[in-house]
Amino acid sequence: MAAAAMSCAASLRLIPFKPTLFASSVQYPAKALILRPLKPSELPSLRRTIITFQKISTGNIRPPLASSSPSSSEDYQPIEELPPKLQEIVNLFQSVQEPRAKYRQLIFYGEHLKPLDPRFKTRENKVEGCVSQVWVRAFFDDQRNVVYEADSDSSITKGLAALLVQGLSGRPVPEILRVTPDFALLLGLQQSLSPSRNNGFLNMLKLMQKKALNLEVKGEEGSSSGESLESSFVPTPETNGGASVVDNDTEDLGAEDSDSGSNVVALGSRGMRMRERLEKELNPVELEVEDVSYQHAGHAAVRGSAGDDGETHFNLRIVSDAFQGKSLVKRHRLIYDLLQEELKNGLHALSIVAKTPAEV
Amino acid sequence: MEGVAMKLPSFKSLAPNAISIGHRSFSRVRRSSSLSVFSAASSSATVATSSESVSLGHRVRKDFRILHQEVNGSKLVYLDSAATSQKPSVVLEALQNYYEFYNSNVHRGIHYLSAKATDEFELARKKVARFINASDSKEIVFTRNATEAINLVAYSWGLLNLKPGDEVSLTVAEHHSCIVPWQLVSEKTGAVLKYVMLNEDEVPDVDKLREMISPKTKLVAVHHVSNVLASCLPIEEIVVCAHNVGAKVLVDACQSVPHMVVDVQKLNADFLVASSHKMCGPTGIGFLYGKSDLLQSMPPFLGGGEMISDVFLDHSTYAEPPSRFEAGTPAIGEAIALGAAIDYLSEIGMPKIHEYEVELGKYLYGKLSALPDVRIYGPRPSESVHRGALCSFNVEGLHPTDLATFLDQQHGVAIRSGHHCAQPLHRYLGVNASARASLYFYNTKEDVDSFVVALADTVSFFNSFK
Repeated sequence: MAAAAMSCAASLRLIPFKPTLFASSVQYPAKALILRPLKPSELPSLRRTIITFQKISTGNIRPPLASSSPSSSEDYQPIEELPPKLQEIVNLFQSVQEPRAKYRQLIFYGEHLKPLDPRFKTRENKVEGCVSQVWVRAFFDDQRNVVYEADSDSSITKGLAALLVQGLSGRPVPEILRVTPDFALLLGLQQSLSPSRNNGFLNMLKLMQKKALNLEVKGEEGSSSGESLESSFVPTPETNGGASVVDNDTEDLGAEDSDSGSNVVALGSRGMRMRERLEKELNPVELEVEDVSYQHAGHAAVRGSAGDDGETHFNLRIVSDAFQGKSLVKRHRLIYDLLQEELKNGLHALSIVAKTPAEV
Repeated sequence: MEGVAMKLPSFKSLAPNAISIGHRSFSRVRRSSSLSVFSAASSSATVATSSESVSLGHRVRKDFRILHQEVNGSKLVYLDSAATSQKPSVVLEALQNYYEFYNSNVHRGIHYLSAKATDEFELARKKVARFINASDSKEIVFTRNATEAINLVAYSWGLLNLKPGDEVSLTVAEHHSCIVPWQLVSEKTGAVLKYVMLNEDEVPDVDKLREMISPKTKLVAVHHVSNVLASCLPIEEIVVCAHNVGAKVLVDACQSVPHMVVDVQKLNADFLVASSHKMCGPTGIGFLYGKSDLLQSMPPFLGGGEMISDVFLDHSTYAEPPSRFEAGTPAIGEAIALGAAIDYLSEIGMPKIHEYEVELGKYLYGKLSALPDVRIYGPRPSESVHRGALCSFNVEGLHPTDLATFLDQQHGVAIRSGHHCAQPLHRYLGVNASARASLYFYNTKEDVDSFVVALADTVSFFNSFK
């Protein structure tokens, strides 16, 4: 998984994108801290994590890759530091070039976001600075990973919220706090990035991190775990008009764990199609197509997606001569191109390891 | 028409001659040179318009370089003039000119440059006075913007004159700038704010307002043209009602002064405010019109230099209006540029601008209302009801933010989405936010067409997810 992430990350950095002005990225993690007074015992460890991170990001630890564009992304957070699901999301958006298709993808995420129970649409859960209304809720699962739920009345903001929910849910607090908004640049969604007051995306991320921190702090203080950690339980929801009541099914959310585990899932029709295509076109020496959709079964982008039987997330390991002489970018591009149809029809994300026989 | 770049004679060649002529005629020399170019253009254009082929919008576009650009890969279609207007080159040149050739502090200096700056500054004041037909330029107080002007009245006149139980009448459709200052001041004075709601035509209920005005009413503060509903209030009538009970009237004319003839004598309002940046002038300057005797009676708002007569350690005496309300160094260049904007607008003629906008506004309303699922706020246009040239609207099932984002990203169309500084109004209408497309005389029929096409595309894009 990590290897796949590495190769993805490397290739991502080479894909040219328009860097927009996001100046404060370096100081961002520090800002995230100045939200609640922390106990002295808390402060050093979290700060240390963050200071260390800052050093990494400002320094230049990019593996020198012999390829086209000199990356102008020197100061941005390396993608491999992102939670794995967020990396996948970034990958997916990178593979979708056309702006309209990006929006479509974004809105699709949003449409499949699990609705938020109206009683959680409170002031404490509202994201400030949004022209539309956005609410975010956070709680611990039984392994002290943060689980998020969110909603919005605007499709685009809902999509952005869904990205964050999918990308950050089920992760431990320190990992969540390490995330800077830099990855938004890689998504190629222009509008999410202006540092203006109305930047809902930045504020969403900040609120989610603040809530994660809150949960951590409250947890340390020894209050009971689970739902009661939420400071937001005020029975005055703010919705304008009817919102659907939702099954508060936290079971499968809790099961949203990071490790792939040893569950081998037999390939469904999509998996088979992909395998066939890849075999035919790439003539691989090694080919592994692993359906890891179940790992994402909790988040709602999967449920009932595009009428398919939930085959949305795959790990691919391909060793083939076809990759000879191709940069990582080109290899990934090749694979995405071959799987265009699937991507259009509900395939969400691919984690790719693409090597030539010599490289194995 | 679009591609033509008007080259005005360079400043360098002009300025030396201009200065030697004498400071009085300086601005006139500059004006006439720019004028000659403009009239050369417009005379050729008038030949064209006499055959009705070139609209006002097309004619003036060359004066607004900012409109000739691409955003996000599409031609810019700027439909947000109600938020701020674009500035013609003559205004920008006036500002540049000021700083380049005669920048100096006003009212204080003896030397040549400061005398010239003072002259131009006071000339700008005269232009504003003339523009709204004030009886004297002393009735024009320069402020930072209309918001500051309203605050001036609230803190200066309001704190002095409002007593506990006194009433201030407003409408639910007021801009925040004409709500919050009164809230602040009523807290301090014990006055009560009363709001009139909308009637079934979706305009503020003037009948209810008439009923509401009582001997307790001390002030009626209302908009002239609504920035959301595009409706126009019958100010003259309202003033008559108010004066009958001894109440004063403040008119928020931000959306009217830029678009039509506003005559304070006819309206007979006690106070009137407007912002330069909505009328082709720069930001950072606006004005308050106040009747002489009223301003005379009002205590200072901000204290400092300029507004004093004599200063001692323990007290000071204050200057006459308008200086009394203009503390510190004003936005000199900006005021002068506002003067240039007024010249520019007057050159075209406010009646002509208004006529053009009524037509274009009708066209916009017609095309927009023809789209399915579009709900436009405010009154329907008719023979008796003239809407301002803007439409605030919502599309069923589509959040205005999504709409505006997509329009901008995919089509280069600039509209506004949000509450347009009118939260109470939106709450009353039962929506969180709306989208708003607003026109000015530099917009064209093609702009409206582009907008409608883009809107249809946006709606179908978002509908494809349903």
